[in-house]
Amino acid sequence: MILIFLQSSVFSLNTLVTLKVLESNERDTMAISLKLIPHLLAWFGIVLILLRGFAGRRSVVTVASIAGFVIGVTGTCILFRSFPVAIPFVVVKSALGVSFLFLWGASIAAIYRSTGRGITIFQGERRGNFPLGAGIAACMASIVAGAICTCGLPAAGSTLLTLLLLAVAAGALAYALAYSAQALDKLLPNSYTVSLSGMLVAVVALLLCSSSSLLRLDLFSPLSMKVMKGVHDFVHQFMESILIPDHLFIRSYIWKFIGLLFGKEVGFWGGLVIWFIPALLIAMAIGFERLPSVAHLRQGAKRRTVMAAAIRERRCRLVIPLLSVVVFATAAYQSSFPSVEYWDPKPLPITADQSGEITIPKKGEIDLEDGKLHKYLFKQGGREVRFFVLMTPAGQLTVDLDACAICKPDGYGQAEGSVICYYCKTLIPLDTVGKPGGCNPVPVAFSVKGENVVIDGITLVNSWSTTVQATARVKEGGK
Amino acid sequence: MLFRILKNSFLKRPKAIFLIFLSIAMGSAVATAFLGIAGEISHKMALELRSYGANILIEPSAAEGGGFLREEDLPKIKTVFWKYNITGFTPYLFGIAEFSAGGRKERGVVSGTWFTKQLEVPGEEFSIQGIKGIAPWWEVQGRWPEDADEAIIGASLAKRLNISSGSDVTTIVRGGNQKFRIVGVVTTGGYEEEQLFAPLVTVQSLLQQQGKVSRVQVSALTVPMDDFGKKDPTTMTKDEYEKWYCTAYVTSVAKNVEEVMAGSRAKPIWQIASAEGALLKKLNSVMLLLTVLALGASATAVSTSLMASMAERSPEIALMKAIGADRFQISSIFIGETLIISLAGGVSGYLLGGQLAELISRTVFNSTIASPLWLFPTAIISAFVVAIAGSIVPLRRALLIEPVTVLKG
Amino acid sequence: MSENIIETNGLTRNYGDICALKPLDLQVPEGEWLSVMGHSGSGKSTLMNLVGGLDRPSAGSLRVGGKDLLALTEDGLARFRRESVGIIFQQHHMVPYLTAVENVMMAQYFHSVPDEAEARSALERVGLGHRLKNRPGELSGGEQQRVCIARAIINSPKLLLGDEPTGNLDHKSTIMVMELLKELRAEERFTVIMVTHNQEVAAWGDRTIYLDDGVLVREERTAG
Repeated sequence: MILIFLQSSVFSLNTLVTLKVLESNERDTMAISLKLIPHLLAWFGIVLILLRGFAGRRSVVTVASIAGFVIGVTGTCILFRSFPVAIPFVVVKSALGVSFLFLWGASIAAIYRSTGRGITIFQGERRGNFPLGAGIAACMASIVAGAICTCGLPAAGSTLLTLLLLAVAAGALAYALAYSAQALDKLLPNSYTVSLSGMLVAVVALLLCSSSSLLRLDLFSPLSMKVMKGVHDFVHQFMESILIPDHLFIRSYIWKFIGLLFGKEVGFWGGLVIWFIPALLIAMAIGFERLPSVAHLRQGAKRRTVMAAAIRERRCRLVIPLLSVVVFATAAYQSSFPSVEYWDPKPLPITADQSGEITIPKKGEIDLEDGKLHKYLFKQGGREVRFFVLMTPAGQLTVDLDACAICKPDGYGQAEGSVICYYCKTLIPLDTVGKPGGCNPVPVAFSVKGENVVIDGITLVNSWSTTVQATARVKEGGK
Repeated sequence: MLFRILKNSFLKRPKAIFLIFLSIAMGSAVATAFLGIAGEISHKMALELRSYGANILIEPSAAEGGGFLREEDLPKIKTVFWKYNITGFTPYLFGIAEFSAGGRKERGVVSGTWFTKQLEVPGEEFSIQGIKGIAPWWEVQGRWPEDADEAIIGASLAKRLNISSGSDVTTIVRGGNQKFRIVGVVTTGGYEEEQLFAPLVTVQSLLQQQGKVSRVQVSALTVPMDDFGKKDPTTMTKDEYEKWYCTAYVTSVAKNVEEVMAGSRAKPIWQIASAEGALLKKLNSVMLLLTVLALGASATAVSTSLMASMAERSPEIALMKAIGADRFQISSIFIGETLIISLAGGVSGYLLGGQLAELISRTVFNSTIASPLWLFPTAIISAFVVAIAGSIVPLRRALLIEPVTVLKG
Repeated sequence: MSENIIETNGLTRNYGDICALKPLDLQVPEGEWLSVMGHSGSGKSTLMNLVGGLDRPSAGSLRVGGKDLLALTEDGLARFRRESVGIIFQQHHMVPYLTAVENVMMAQYFHSVPDEAEARSALERVGLGHRLKNRPGELSGGEQQRVCIARAIINSPKLLLGDEPTGNLDHKSTIMVMELLKELRAEERFTVIMVTHNQEVAAWGDRTIYLDDGVLVREERTAG
């Protein structure tokens, strides 16, 4: 049965991707589907955990999760359609941040309660297992998961019809996954229970793990940056306002320790501490949980059986928070060592005005000055020209053909500090982009008028033809 | 309770435990030592093949006499086809010299070079060339020379002369002499530590070789060599040659540079090491094989001694079973025992293996090695692997013990 | 004494061609003290092992404490042994490197969780309060057997099996051990099955059965 679900889910996954990426070929579809799989697995895990945690509310959880996922996917799509790209990312990232803060609060509450003091953090807490609470939790988590999935898809223009189809595809996918989660849940033995805090930590961990693979949604790196900055600022202020550098008590070896605080590692380790503490606190809280009182049992064997059962149950509940620690570690790892990918946007079609000039606003839909490669496709008279606009690290805008003077015009991708020629795999330092020669992209003359970059269409086409014809001729000549 | 059982079992049967501990420690020590040496060899090879740092050496071609390159050709390096891939270069002029400082006299190599030379090439952007950019791994205690009579000295030459930063060294070459103020001591881990580095101009006039350099080191961003890159350019078709020339293989960049330097021959530095590299690779695989064999042998030893102790302990296992221990509980006692021994064995194997590696590398390879951090988990893991592999058969035997037959006795 | 704790029906055990136990029908009511007598090789130990879940029958049915022992897996049998049965052997088997109290705690550990205080009081109950930290080598035969009794009853089994528990003991220790068992049985109300070839020991039971060549030949009730 699970197999059938999985088959249908693969099918709808492909539909989903195809719908989102309108003009893409088979291979792209496959590649993007593969990239989506971790996110979907994370969501699958979330649904499974919720089903376990809200045992007895399974149908509510399933329905709410599916609904949440569809809302997340379509909602984010609508956001992407109606606002600049940055806004949806900010929205999703804030949602993730809030969930992490919430986890922090919950973990502190959990550890506080484990010391034996009973407190109720909020009114609905005790009613967590009621249909409404379960539904809301499942829905919210799934909305965020769906949003992360959408952020993982490449952007493309969408019409109302495709949006509708997208919602249907997402729904089908969610349906298949949620029901396979339910089937899996039935297979698991009943003794694996999940506490409320364990459920929370697992859900947040999976969401953060899923988001950490997307550079723009990653929370860990900004967190460690913040920590580093915070520490630096604090030490600075502290030193300047309170302690004079040649103070009597500050000997040179103390400066060494102060120097440690200025190291780059402070951010990383500090970030790690903040990152892991909630999950560890929750695990500790479960570890500290009181065992049931067995004093009323007269017979030793019975007393010990009850104790052993309680200990076993506590260990079972520890599994999820400890697994979450592993998931958090994965997220931190993904964030620290992002998989190297060449930034290679799809060329945007662009046209010239009557006077034959191409005008691209610097701060339009795309920010040309963000230091990234921006590719465009210009068509004129049956000829196609690929070119890109890039701001070099020196702060100079440059317009170049997406081809060099010698290689086949396979184009360029951007890596850390350099661009790579896809044909000969040569790395070209970013600083030298815009200068002719070698395998560097061929520069094109352009002018900056006000807030626009203006390129002459004829020059562009001519430059492309001479370059490409030259390289093509060499190629033919060789055969 | 598990720990109490284990603790008492350890305390009461020290001999059997020690035997197992010994075999595990031996296996993990050998694994650590061999893997450490193999790793060190690979590390050294990787340094050799690094894509940053100097990877092309330009020397005067043997055909032309003279034996020098012209300094005036140097800026042309920045104008070649691959100019953007050339991240830096440094010229050297060498001469044997007598150094004297504080009464001591030693022979050594004086080397004129650029440290941070501001190079202006017409039509190109102004750039800074020299050792500082090309050899970022050099550790200089002190600072880099700035004036014409300042120099840095290699660590081992400095040791021989017994001087440090701030001292003065007089350099004598064929009657001519020049006084240098030492501003830094450099550690490179290579032959450079036997040299004194001074500004090129000063050394040129000292050696009376104005405008000449002995060799140039070039550092270029290159593409890793593949089968295509190894092909001989002269046998290529035009199409292939075009692709070869436009791919930044170290060989094609070298050829490119060679074209602009009159009377020069440029060779990729890795070629020098390639024969050595092939040998080291073979050595590495022998090391790996030996490691696997050593681990296998120690697993067999562990297995044998565990078998013996199982036979001795079968009444005890039978009793535990009769009292009601299931297979999981029995296994956890015995696996826990071997794991604890192997943890101890792994740690001592690591310590022992480090010493062994150093001994081997000192006597056989005549070089010191720094035991890298990854060897520790390797030692522990190999100890675990040995312990687990060695305890599979004995554990199966233990689980098959029938309380009825054993307790009958 | 309404329910039977042990019910066998045609219980048979063959070792190869040798038939150690011919089809046996036996009922033992709950709380009874049953002595099993017979000379060597009469099948009494085989019966003992079958009832204690240490061995599996070749044919027939065997129910102990409502459980069908034939249906249990190996780990299921282990669980049955630690929860429902206490066994005392002829050669007071103890783990040599553990102290008396640790030997008792080991049974607790396999059963559920160890509880040292309880193990101590169990040893005090069998009169070994002063020898808690001694290892088996430092205990006399009678003392070792008393540790084994403490260990056998620590998990409150429904059934206590003794396989010639007094076989290696002198007369004085035998009396001591038997008195102890009687006392404990009065408190804990477990069923006792004791294999012996000593008529005097057998007389401590409520009922005695005689086995010969794997066949139940005679059965008698002890008067009073």
